[in-house]
Amino acid sequence: MELLLQTLINGILAAGIYALVASGLALAVGVVGIVNFAHGEFSMIGAFVSYLLFVSAGIDPIISLGLAAMVLFLVGAITYYGLIRPVLAAPELNQMLLTFGISVALQNIALLVFGADTRVVSTSYQGSTIALGSISFGVPPFAAFVLSVGLLGALYWFLGRTRLGFAVRAVAQNRLAPGLLGIETQQIYLLAFGLSAALAGVAGVMLSVMLYASPTVGFAYTLKAFAIIVMAGLGNLRGVVPAAIILALAEAFVSTYVPGGGGWVEAVFFLVIFIALTWRSWRVP
Amino acid sequence: MRRVLVVLLVVLGLASFSLAQTTVRVGVLLPISTVAGKAALNGVQLGVDQVNAGGKVKIELVVVDDGNAPAAAVPALTKLMTVDRVDIVIGGLASGVTFALSGPVKQYNPLFLCIGAASSVVEQAFSDYGRFFHYHPWDYHNVAAALGFFKSLYDDGARRVAILYEDGPFGSAGIQTYRQQLQNQGYTVQAEPFKSGSGSFTAILTRFRSFRPDILYWIGYDVDALPIAAQTRQVGLEPKLIYGAPPAWPLGFEKNNLSNDIAGMTAWLPSVANNESRRFVNLYRRKFNEITDEYMAPMGYVIALSLGRAAEAANSADKDRIAAELARVQMDTPFGPLSFKPSDTGRTRFQGFNQSIWLQFQYLEGSRRPVFPANRAARPLRFPGNY
Repeated sequence: MELLLQTLINGILAAGIYALVASGLALAVGVVGIVNFAHGEFSMIGAFVSYLLFVSAGIDPIISLGLAAMVLFLVGAITYYGLIRPVLAAPELNQMLLTFGISVALQNIALLVFGADTRVVSTSYQGSTIALGSISFGVPPFAAFVLSVGLLGALYWFLGRTRLGFAVRAVAQNRLAPGLLGIETQQIYLLAFGLSAALAGVAGVMLSVMLYASPTVGFAYTLKAFAIIVMAGLGNLRGVVPAAIILALAEAFVSTYVPGGGGWVEAVFFLVIFIALTWRSWRVP
Repeated sequence: MRRVLVVLLVVLGLASFSLAQTTVRVGVLLPISTVAGKAALNGVQLGVDQVNAGGKVKIELVVVDDGNAPAAAVPALTKLMTVDRVDIVIGGLASGVTFALSGPVKQYNPLFLCIGAASSVVEQAFSDYGRFFHYHPWDYHNVAAALGFFKSLYDDGARRVAILYEDGPFGSAGIQTYRQQLQNQGYTVQAEPFKSGSGSFTAILTRFRSFRPDILYWIGYDVDALPIAAQTRQVGLEPKLIYGAPPAWPLGFEKNNLSNDIAGMTAWLPSVANNESRRFVNLYRRKFNEITDEYMAPMGYVIALSLGRAAEAANSADKDRIAAELARVQMDTPFGPLSFKPSDTGRTRFQGFNQSIWLQFQYLEGSRRPVFPANRAARPLRFPGNY
């Protein structure tokens, strides 16, 4: 029973960082309609922003969260304006090849600037633990979970309660009609893509605390984010948190209860994508 | 007239000096974007400076990046051999890359001075190649050195070892043998694979909790170091020792409190107290205004010095004459004495160092300190450690 409870907590807390990465990707897919393979590299930039602020000015990563979000919003906006916007009307394959190219380019730029080495920040709370009887969990994953829930709550509020949010949802549902009503579609796209990158940046800062900063840190999380948005339904933001929890719990249970499961855990998201797509194909006539 | 004669004599003198100097062109094939690769290159350059300052041999380096990947390393070697036309190559840091180079090396036949590549898969791949000089110990030497340490931990009361091994070739190749050897020492062993870089260890570590290991031993990469250190505490595992065996440690890890008391293995640290080590540290600091913890730096230095010595003895730039002299080299190094013998398995003819160069260290107060074997320890091992 104790092992089961600990496994449940491990899985739910791991879902926090997954949801943070996946929500940005869902925003890019749902609103802009672009499958962004470079999303993980935005997280990588966030991790390096956190690392650089830490080593150069001793700034705690928690304080760098806001700055990293702003930097990544800017990076996302520039990427959208300079690279994504020209291919919005192009076939989807071209768009995917473009974002794949951006991903490779950003990784290689990071390799040139920082090298291939793993870098870590040092904070007083990285090993901090909360114990509830025989169950214990780390402060950083708990903080990442709370941050994720908070940010996604704010995002839902923005989309469901503000005029700008209504405009974003309108553009997500129909690319042409909002323009006829005076909504600046391009600006909405820019805002959505910038927000998507900012969310990835925040996730990157948390990754720098929980894991490390390196040119490849975002890659594994991009794959998991794809599994989550496929499970949630492409572009469905409300489905992101439940899907992230399902994926993280599946990984935790495989890892804990399947002999040698630690080696299988990365295969879980492929299985999730497979099941989700197959299930959808059976549902749709 | 007299002045002309003096000038002529000086010119002739210089000419004869330059004729006596042997010039050797050497290709260097290293992952220079990594800390270990950069340290190795610095060491090679430092050694070359020493050789060239001697005046009898002049080594010219042609440096190329192997990208730490076979796909980049093979074309880089091809360029060294066909465009730069070198006869001698220093390289082969990572096992996977070096294994991929075995075919092209046999095709172009350089004298290959191998700086790393501990995997015995590489030993097998170069078993029929006579111009292969392997300086670094093989993986079975590494295992022997680590087992010596584990034996002393057993004497200190450790009985259960939990092994976390990455499920790729690096972590899983010798795991069964390792497990068996630890059991032969009297340990109870539980081993679990993991996916390196995943950052998810809480589930496996939670499962280890019921096993109550004295030692948590992880065989993985630098990307796993911090998550394992953090998540071990987060699940309340509380082993007496965390022992890691990555090829490199993360940058800045020593400054992180979570690194404290974590132990590992290295071939050299700047605090190693022998004359050659002290000399190397002084030279390195003078040239680069810093010192490194990476043992690949003195390894590169030793390779360059031994090559210079062999070229001087051969009095020729011919790779076979240099190889013949290199096989006879005996010299003191920062790691201890170096000479070449057939490898323990007999597969390769020229093996430099063995398990005797390895030492165990522990992160203590922000730096790595040698703690085992006793004759090389700077500090006593903190056991049990505080995790």
